[in-house]
Amino acid sequence: MKPDDPRVRWIDEPELGPLGRVYVPLATEGLATTLRHLFGRKKTVQSPEERYVSPAPLIYRGVHRLNRDSQGRVKCVACFLCATACPAHCIDIVAAESPWPDRDKYPESFTIDELRCIYCGMCEEACPVDAIELTSLYDLSGKSREEMIFDKEKLLAVYDMTKDAEPMRTAGVPEPRRKEDGP
Amino acid sequence: MTRVTIDNRVLELDPEDRLNGIEAAARLGIEIPHYCWHPGLSVVGSCRMCLVEHGTIDRAKGHVVMMPKLVPACQTPATDGSVFITNSPKVVQARAMVEEGLLLRHPVDCPICDKAGECFLQDYHFRHGQDARRADARPFVSRRRELGPDITLFVDRCILCSRCVRFVREVSGSSELMVTGRGSHEEIDVLADFPLNNNLSGNVVDLCPVGALCDKHFLYRQRVWFMRSHEGVCAGCATGCSIWIDENQDRVHRIRPRENPKVNRWWICNDGRWSYPHVHNPSRLATPLRREGGATVAVDWSKLVRELDGRLRHAGPLAAVVSPFLTVEEAYLLCRYIRSIDPEAILALGPVPTVGEDERFPGGFVISAEKCPNRRGVERILAHFAGRVASFDEVVSRAHQGGVGGAWVSGGYRRPWIDASAAEQLARAGLLVVQDLFDSPLAERAGYVLPGAAFVERDGSYVNRDGLLQSARRAIRPPSGARTEGSLLWELSGRSGLYQAEVVLQEVFREIEMKEPRMNTDEHG
Amino acid sequence: MFLLETLIKTALVIAGLMTAAAYLVLLERWMAAWIQDRLGPNRVGIPLTRIRLFGLGQPLADGVKFFFKEEFTPSHVDKLLYFLGPAVMFTAAVAIFAVVPFGSVLPSEFGLEGMSRPIELVVAPGVDVAVLYVFAAGSIAVYGALLSGWASNNKYSMYGGLRGAAQLISYELPLGLGLVGVVLASGSLRLDVIIAQQAQSGAWNVALQPLGFLVFFVAGFAESGRLPFDLPETEQELVGGYHTEYSGVKLLLILVSEFLHMIVASFLIVILFFGGWHLWGVTGSGQEVTWPIALARVVVLLGKVLLTILFFMLARWSWPRFRFDQLMALAWKVILPLGMVNLVVLVVWVEYGAKMAAALGISNIAAMAAFGWGVFAASAAVVVWLVPGEPDNRPRRGPAWQLGPTDEEETPQ
Repeated sequence: MKPDDPRVRWIDEPELGPLGRVYVPLATEGLATTLRHLFGRKKTVQSPEERYVSPAPLIYRGVHRLNRDSQGRVKCVACFLCATACPAHCIDIVAAESPWPDRDKYPESFTIDELRCIYCGMCEEACPVDAIELTSLYDLSGKSREEMIFDKEKLLAVYDMTKDAEPMRTAGVPEPRRKEDGP
Repeated sequence: MTRVTIDNRVLELDPEDRLNGIEAAARLGIEIPHYCWHPGLSVVGSCRMCLVEHGTIDRAKGHVVMMPKLVPACQTPATDGSVFITNSPKVVQARAMVEEGLLLRHPVDCPICDKAGECFLQDYHFRHGQDARRADARPFVSRRRELGPDITLFVDRCILCSRCVRFVREVSGSSELMVTGRGSHEEIDVLADFPLNNNLSGNVVDLCPVGALCDKHFLYRQRVWFMRSHEGVCAGCATGCSIWIDENQDRVHRIRPRENPKVNRWWICNDGRWSYPHVHNPSRLATPLRREGGATVAVDWSKLVRELDGRLRHAGPLAAVVSPFLTVEEAYLLCRYIRSIDPEAILALGPVPTVGEDERFPGGFVISAEKCPNRRGVERILAHFAGRVASFDEVVSRAHQGGVGGAWVSGGYRRPWIDASAAEQLARAGLLVVQDLFDSPLAERAGYVLPGAAFVERDGSYVNRDGLLQSARRAIRPPSGARTEGSLLWELSGRSGLYQAEVVLQEVFREIEMKEPRMNTDEHG
Repeated sequence: MFLLETLIKTALVIAGLMTAAAYLVLLERWMAAWIQDRLGPNRVGIPLTRIRLFGLGQPLADGVKFFFKEEFTPSHVDKLLYFLGPAVMFTAAVAIFAVVPFGSVLPSEFGLEGMSRPIELVVAPGVDVAVLYVFAAGSIAVYGALLSGWASNNKYSMYGGLRGAAQLISYELPLGLGLVGVVLASGSLRLDVIIAQQAQSGAWNVALQPLGFLVFFVAGFAESGRLPFDLPETEQELVGGYHTEYSGVKLLLILVSEFLHMIVASFLIVILFFGGWHLWGVTGSGQEVTWPIALARVVVLLGKVLLTILFFMLARWSWPRFRFDQLMALAWKVILPLGMVNLVVLVVWVEYGAKMAAALGISNIAAMAAFGWGVFAASAAVVVWLVPGEPDNRPRRGPAWQLGPTDEEETPQ
């Protein structure tokens, strides 16, 4: 669509009135705003004495977790879409044939380098089965780089830890399907 | 001269071309989507994806007579005066309907399907399909079926194009596959006692336009969009098939045939297709070693070149065993280097591994018994330098008699290639330099053991059984510690900079009258 | 004796300035935090204890940090100029304070032996060209910015240095024009005389020459390189501007110099336009002082300066930064002409104003104030009339915008 397309509706800045043109009234308005905040209520949370509790944990993008399906198995189907979407290349998956009769593919190993991650949330956007999600855990720390590379067990443990406070966004599980025909 | 009109553009064809509508349109850059048609197989016209409007020019009356119904372009010859319309609303509508029909029972499990990313069903759906699915029929019950030791079938993904069935009938001639059932219950299947296990069976995976047939060795290993494809030449046998080497981060995950009408057409054999595991075998040699007394010492490549050069110059009469796995360029550099030190050096062809007889298939494909890529190329080089091609046994016996002061033996074999007695005899040479992929009885006795490169790591050219010279670039880098023979010999010859196979090949062409037709990967692909 | 007096005052001024700069940084951080609904630094208190003191120990910690940080000199810099840059900046900034009074005088009974006159609260008392000196020393700051920018051998630093130079030189003119008005009215270049005159008449210059004040105020803001005029070091564009490549103590010197510029600007604004140490009914206006009055004058002056600095800090978070072309346009197209108008008007007033006021039978001060505000209102009207109502950052929909060739008539209205 070109800028001169007739369907483009142009929204312009409002015209400056005579007062606006001398800058001072608008500047005073700005000053008034800052002054109001200067004496306003402060929002700082005194961490670590106080802990911040997110009012909307589902929106927050913190540490990842790998969800479990209704049978407690890892929900991930190892489709690599998160690894494809990841702009930081911090997800490493090794796929294999699943040991379960109703699933084809599963992640043999699933690793996220939490230090490399930029917490953009693209992985959970990409996931077709809502297996990977970002929790509202924000104070992630460790003493070594290795410690910050989360493997499948650790990511599942994050799920177990957070599932009550933050339930899975969709509980849906792919419909079981018979995997193998008779020989 | 045949004149065909496609989408208001006129194409002139040689009547001998005998093209169908799809091929003729392709010459004009117009793609007619198709599933069941393949240039290497017979025409069935079962998928209906290539439906186009067709007519003929009535030259007497001077107008075009169109056929009332759409015709499959694959089955319609591009004869003189024929008219194809591939982009009319009628055709577009027909394609959308075909696409909808094929997707009606498709599981759409693209996230876990290995074909996703190079799937024709996906691509054509985006290009020709409809935005929304109008019916929601569940896929039918069968899910997965083992067709043979290497191939598995995801039954519900199949669109019944029957390419695989035609392939096993027409090209491999083994006819293991069949279509069972009727109507919507049709499925691809094998008889219980006749699994799909012929030596070309891997090609059905490439032929399959959807993700129904999968290669068990590749299944779930990589998503196709992570891999980069490199043009290569198969080093599995003397046929020298053109291949695509699919690699991700210096690891080969898949080898596919690359269309080459002069060599392998559209196919490769299973041996070539699954010939890459040895490249990533952890037991590959990884450190250059010098043997002093009984102990081995790791040597640094940077110091090794000068050291080797010095030792060879004082070794006395030299011999070189040029492996048929080396490229033409490497063989040339090796011979030239050895001869520059000792002009009388013996230049011998390494052992040529041979397994059984050539295997010929009804489709014309040949698997050579000679399991090395470049015997002819190496022979030409040896003949150029020495006037004759000495045999390996000759070097062995000469070494046994103590007539060899220094021997350079190049390996690169995929399988064990020398027995202990021959190695013992060769080791009598004062200085034995072995460059190879794996440990061998010879390497255990060698003064210097140098890790070499596998075929996917080499730049260079091979001359195949028909005398066709084919050049290719490397697909991956050699593992750390290993070094391609070419780059080592380049440095040993005192040349500066990086190894440039093209430069060496030009030299070869200047010195040697290579009568072989030459085929560059650049020209084809 | 004179030497001793000067040394003591110098020591007092430098120590006071350094402490003030350190705590002004803390104040600035507090202001920034409060305006953004945060708490600001509130943890650092007395070292080795858990007493927090509202974070008053922060400047100390910052200072220690600056001295113990690695002082890194990049290999690609021009070493001599790289060291010279911060030194020039800092020296120039401190040197200005030689003539800036921080009070009036001490009572005459206090004095050292052999002193014939009361001690004036300024390092170099009685400088006849104090105003000129302030300008001369202030202009040297340009060299600091340019040297650092050039010596850093870095594009961002270079841009910062160039911008700094262009900005300082452009605003030097209106700054001078704003000042000349005051000098004309008072007839002296001495800062203490300018204060004394305001004190005597009881009418601060801001009331008499509002236009001159506006010009000087804006130019002073720009000279000190603070938002909305901090183009030389726009973090979003130039990393850190001309101090991108500096670290450790050299960075500290540059940052302190910038603070000193702001303090100087505040002092000048207060002295020239807000009566200096004068406050009606508190400080008196005569030459002879008692101890309480002398102290009150210091407190009043410093209090006014502090208020001005607070305004500087408040302004930082209130107004968006100008674009560079807007900055230049403001200097050359608005502030400079206004300054000239102010100058011409004042010349006319000095020549004829007093006589006309006498002829009309009204007080000189009232007439001058009325005249000044009249000119101010007229100027504002002219600005309103001339300034385009449409902001200039609006996307152009003319031919330059269009991707393909289009007729003028097709452009949507």
